[in-house]
Amino acid sequence: MNTADFDYVRGYVRDQAAIVLEPGKEYLVESRLQTLARKENLGSIDILISKLRSDSNNGLHRKVVDAMTTNETSFFRDIHPFEALRKFILPELVARHAQERQLNFWCGAASTGQEPYSVMMLIAEHFPELLGWNIKFTATELCGEVLARARRGRFNQLEVNRGLPASLLVKYFVQQGVEWEIREDLRRRVDFRELNLVRDWSLNPPLDIIFLRNVLIYFDVETKKIILAKIRRLLRPGGYLLLGGAETTFNIDDAFERTVVDKTTFYRLKQS
Amino acid sequence: MIDLTKLIEQANELAPLPASTVRIAGLIGNPNCQLDEVTELIGFDQALTLKLLRAANSAASASSMRIGNVREAVIRMGTAQVMALVVAAGARPFLQTSVPEYGLKEGLLWRHSVAAAVAAETMQAFCKVVTPPETFTAALLHDVGKLVMGRFLSPEILDLIRRAQEVDHLGQLEAETLLLNVHHGELGGLIAQHWQLPPRVVQGIIYHHDPEQGQDVVCDLTYLANRLAKRIEAGLDGRAYDLTISDGVAERLALTPKILNDLCPVAASRYVQVRRRYNAV
Repeated sequence: MNTADFDYVRGYVRDQAAIVLEPGKEYLVESRLQTLARKENLGSIDILISKLRSDSNNGLHRKVVDAMTTNETSFFRDIHPFEALRKFILPELVARHAQERQLNFWCGAASTGQEPYSVMMLIAEHFPELLGWNIKFTATELCGEVLARARRGRFNQLEVNRGLPASLLVKYFVQQGVEWEIREDLRRRVDFRELNLVRDWSLNPPLDIIFLRNVLIYFDVETKKIILAKIRRLLRPGGYLLLGGAETTFNIDDAFERTVVDKTTFYRLKQS
Repeated sequence: MIDLTKLIEQANELAPLPASTVRIAGLIGNPNCQLDEVTELIGFDQALTLKLLRAANSAASASSMRIGNVREAVIRMGTAQVMALVVAAGARPFLQTSVPEYGLKEGLLWRHSVAAAVAAETMQAFCKVVTPPETFTAALLHDVGKLVMGRFLSPEILDLIRRAQEVDHLGQLEAETLLLNVHHGELGGLIAQHWQLPPRVVQGIIYHHDPEQGQDVVCDLTYLANRLAKRIEAGLDGRAYDLTISDGVAERLALTPKILNDLCPVAASRYVQVRRRYNAV
């Protein structure tokens, strides 16, 4: 891939989704666009990019942004945050909201849905009383194709092997041919929506837990600031923000304070 | 980059392991495993019986007592070693093939597999944890995913993996995950499931590069066995290999640098013995 084409793609992806692709990431762009070119029967990346440059209304631009998003995910990813939820955070929130019996969660960049479904399984397994509460669980994702997969709640054998204990697989999934489908009663409790983190957010406060893991790493500092400022307005005082292990609010937004729960770092709004 | 559906299909299309292998592995992987059931099953398979007696007598070579029946052989070797032997017999034809996409000429994957199994066996005396019986089989098969993964790695993909490793200093596994959304450990786990091996064997294979995610001592031990095998092989070839292991594994297995230093030459010597004895690896 030549420099001009790489600059064109990375500039476009940065404008549309604020994803930063540093020089050297040509290999990543090539790998993702080769797959897209094949899918679109375009023969090569050169042809794909020439179509991108020549026509802005052919739908390819959106597909390029989708292709450049990283959708790595797994059930109960990194396990410790889920242990912290089970042992400390959910018991605390359950006690605090026992009167109104309502909790609001948001999972941003939910990819193919493993994270919100993991939380729902955790609730069904350890806090079944919450299934009788008014739980609003919104999960959002930028890529339409990935979002559609999340909504379907179907996973192949490789995906269910990633972090999902066999006991939960047989309890909460139904085998459909060579795939596994999350049980309908859990699936319909998650409201999957399309959302671009660098555009307007259609989310309603107050949120009790926000999961935004391994997303900020793809953005520059300014974009991180904008996103954290929006989160500040959505997060309920006393609520929890969970970021990826390599992410922090430190030196970006000092409205948050770090709190370590079990083996996991969460962020909460500082008390004013 | 690659069609995951086809990849899964190909993993599931590998020829199955012999039925007796699957049944014995399943039996030994069961915590309520009965010795009589194991010996009975092995006794039905003449070729396996001969292999087992040969191995047991070899293991008992320091003793003058000759082992003449399956029951004594199983007691002498232990069920974990028996499981590894049985699976090795079944999986060897697969593991001896070349996988040029991973730089493995014919026989090299098998050698590495045996080195890992020998390392797992040797580690028992050095680690302060009980070694579950599935460990040796997981160690033996940890790289089996490369067999199928290799078929999908075109020169174009290999070039991208190499560049990802260079630019972002990624390991093989991380580069595979980033570019292909699957890595050879996961594919190996799929093959082990297709072969109906016990779940802890499957887990050990999947997480042999990333034991933190595996949450099981079998994953820690398989990770260590792989690292040790690489060290042993490098040593025999006169190459250097840094045996630094993750802090989490070192802590969970109570391994200090001194213990690791003591373990390496013992494992290497045991591997050389095995190679000589069987003249097969």
